[in-house]
Amino acid sequence: MGLITDQMPPMIEAFPGGPAFLTSLDSIINWARSSSLWPLTFGTSCCAIEVMMAAGAAHHDLARFGAEVARPSPRQADLLVLAGTIVKRMEPRLRTLYDQMAEPKYVIATGACAISGGPFIYNSYSTVRGAHEIIPVDVYVPGCPPRPEAFFYGLLTLQKMIREGETIRKPNERRKPVLANLPPGLTLEQLRKEMIQNLESHSVTKFSDKPTGGF
Amino acid sequence: MVNPEISSLEKRIQQSPSKTELNTQEYFVNMGPQHPSTHGVLRLVLRMDGETVQDIIPVLGYIHRGIEKKSESVGYRQQVHLTDRLDYLCSLMNNWGVSAAIEKAMNIELNDRIETVRTIVAELQRIQSHQLWWGVFGMDLGAFTPFLYGFRDREKITAIFEETIGARLTMNYFQPGGMMYDIHPDFVQKVKEFIKYFRPILKEYEDLFSGNIIVQERLRNVGIIDGKTALAYGATGPVLRASGIPYDLRKIEPYGVYSKVQFEVPVGKVGDCWDRYQVRMQEMQESLKIIEQLIDNIPEGKHMVMKFGAKIRPPAGRFYSQIETARGVFGTFFVSDTTDKPYRMHFRTPNFHNLWSVLKMAPGGRVADLVAILSSIDVVVPDMDR
Amino acid sequence: MTKEELLQQVCGLADGMTIQEQSNQPTVNVPVEKWLSIAKTLKSDQRFQFDMLSDQAAIDWPQENQIELVYQFYSTSLGHNLMVCVRVSRQNPIAPSLYQLWPISEWQEREIFDLFGVRYSDHPDLRRLFLEDDWKGYPLLKDYKDDFMLERPW
Repeated sequence: MGLITDQMPPMIEAFPGGPAFLTSLDSIINWARSSSLWPLTFGTSCCAIEVMMAAGAAHHDLARFGAEVARPSPRQADLLVLAGTIVKRMEPRLRTLYDQMAEPKYVIATGACAISGGPFIYNSYSTVRGAHEIIPVDVYVPGCPPRPEAFFYGLLTLQKMIREGETIRKPNERRKPVLANLPPGLTLEQLRKEMIQNLESHSVTKFSDKPTGGF
Repeated sequence: MVNPEISSLEKRIQQSPSKTELNTQEYFVNMGPQHPSTHGVLRLVLRMDGETVQDIIPVLGYIHRGIEKKSESVGYRQQVHLTDRLDYLCSLMNNWGVSAAIEKAMNIELNDRIETVRTIVAELQRIQSHQLWWGVFGMDLGAFTPFLYGFRDREKITAIFEETIGARLTMNYFQPGGMMYDIHPDFVQKVKEFIKYFRPILKEYEDLFSGNIIVQERLRNVGIIDGKTALAYGATGPVLRASGIPYDLRKIEPYGVYSKVQFEVPVGKVGDCWDRYQVRMQEMQESLKIIEQLIDNIPEGKHMVMKFGAKIRPPAGRFYSQIETARGVFGTFFVSDTTDKPYRMHFRTPNFHNLWSVLKMAPGGRVADLVAILSSIDVVVPDMDR
Repeated sequence: MTKEELLQQVCGLADGMTIQEQSNQPTVNVPVEKWLSIAKTLKSDQRFQFDMLSDQAAIDWPQENQIELVYQFYSTSLGHNLMVCVRVSRQNPIAPSLYQLWPISEWQEREIFDLFGVRYSDHPDLRRLFLEDDWKGYPLLKDYKDDFMLERPW
């Protein structure tokens, strides 16, 4: 029998003389889910530029992580990237968007506003203090706004969580959110190397650690 | 219980003029707050006859963060942080707007280095903002390539900013009395490299997008507004200039070192989407010209003329000053009661004022035209809602 | 026209108009009952030609029991600007709407109605702009209290 570990083999080959029976189907499903997240384009303010646009464009290239198919419709998306401030008037709309997304769904809250209200936590009559007051959040990415690399770090954290068996989760069940905080003193070069290691451990392709573009 | 918001909006909807012909049936379409081409959380209620837009009712407030209330509880230096988050694509120019208002109130004379560096950096950001607009404009019209091209070149300016300023988007660089830090030693060289790199790229933008027949069809004679109406509906910036009124504060009330440099103010003729497109494309050329004239001889001097961190207490009174951002006039109005916090702070934001000319541009056109129009006036929603 | 000439000519339009000294722009105080007719003159008179209403703001003065409305005008043909301050009572804030003279005023006034509660007579569509209709109170007033809002503890 084929032994499927947490590490996905490069190819699934049929055994000679009969179909392969996969003992650990869940890990395949989790792997597939983690590698093809479809984010919902939900950008309310500043973070949307860094997290959805700059990260998705040519220089940083979100497609490397299998999450570039941004959909404006919640019915076609399974990852809600909360980029920006949530105000009281937006609260019911955000709840509706979350409810309309198909299970299993994941939420990354990026930026200070989506984590805690950020600069608008005091003396603001309309800013909601954090997305967790409205919907369950899986990963927090700190920054104001976070750089695209920090967002990728959060995305990789979420992918790791999914691979470790998040699919068995019951609908709407709240789990403990993870803070995808970049360690202090980390340079961009180290971060890129770490990302590539993470990518290569689950892929057959080789990646270059040279940043694309730039002078 | 009736949701009062719906009931008040419904009343407004019932008042909207009905112009059906040929016994067609009218209906309403909700565009936003979650819509890819409203650039954020703007909501438009459209009264439609077939595919023709009859009337538009904008609904704002989905990102109203109460910045003006918040401003009253923080000191003058911290206002700069809040303006970063209004129009985040012109954060440096917003910083300049509020810093200049405070400097004028306190009669602070800046040295030439500060003025020159401010001008260069603000013009760089004008290019950066227009690059992003160009990319997103293409994407809204259904072409994905401009998005990738625009962001590729935007990253070059972002890299320059990151070295000098330490931030990529919310800059918080200009302070009342100068700048937070002096420019990076490599700044001049990198900016020169960028100008050399970007001139041919602008030509490439034109080749890729402007001459395209589909783009021309989508933009020419779409969303026409004449200068007088645009002015009456509060439009400023490229939207007003495309309608033929050369209202540019850099020429009219020169600030910084704009009075010492040679540049043109691009003006449109028809006032359609194509003119707004052309005005912005030419503004990028003009910004490059301005930077070229200044970059070789940045005067020596300090980067901060005030004592850093000292509390600011302007004299009592009402102070209004304005500045030209990439989208239009950014005005700062504040009332001082001689304490270290403003009694009242109000921002005249360009996007809030530019939005309403859509009500004159879009009716009679198609929904697809409305997307082109919205993109051509380049809305940033948090700036509208404050 | 210099700043002083402009101020003199504007003040000559009606009685009760004074020059506001504490300002960095040419500024006049206008009584609210005369404001609509003076606004018409500012728009149409050949000497002024204020065709651009740049900004409208309001200031709350609880000690004096007044709300002050501040208008910024600019003339594209003559190139001069003017700030106008109009005071209305805080208990019953009613001001004339200028939307027929400067259409942008319609939404600037809606914003002030939303945040300060100033009611504009003959306004075509006076609804809240940013907040929902069931919002209690007007948040930019100095005595606004709210269960939700947190005061900065330092």
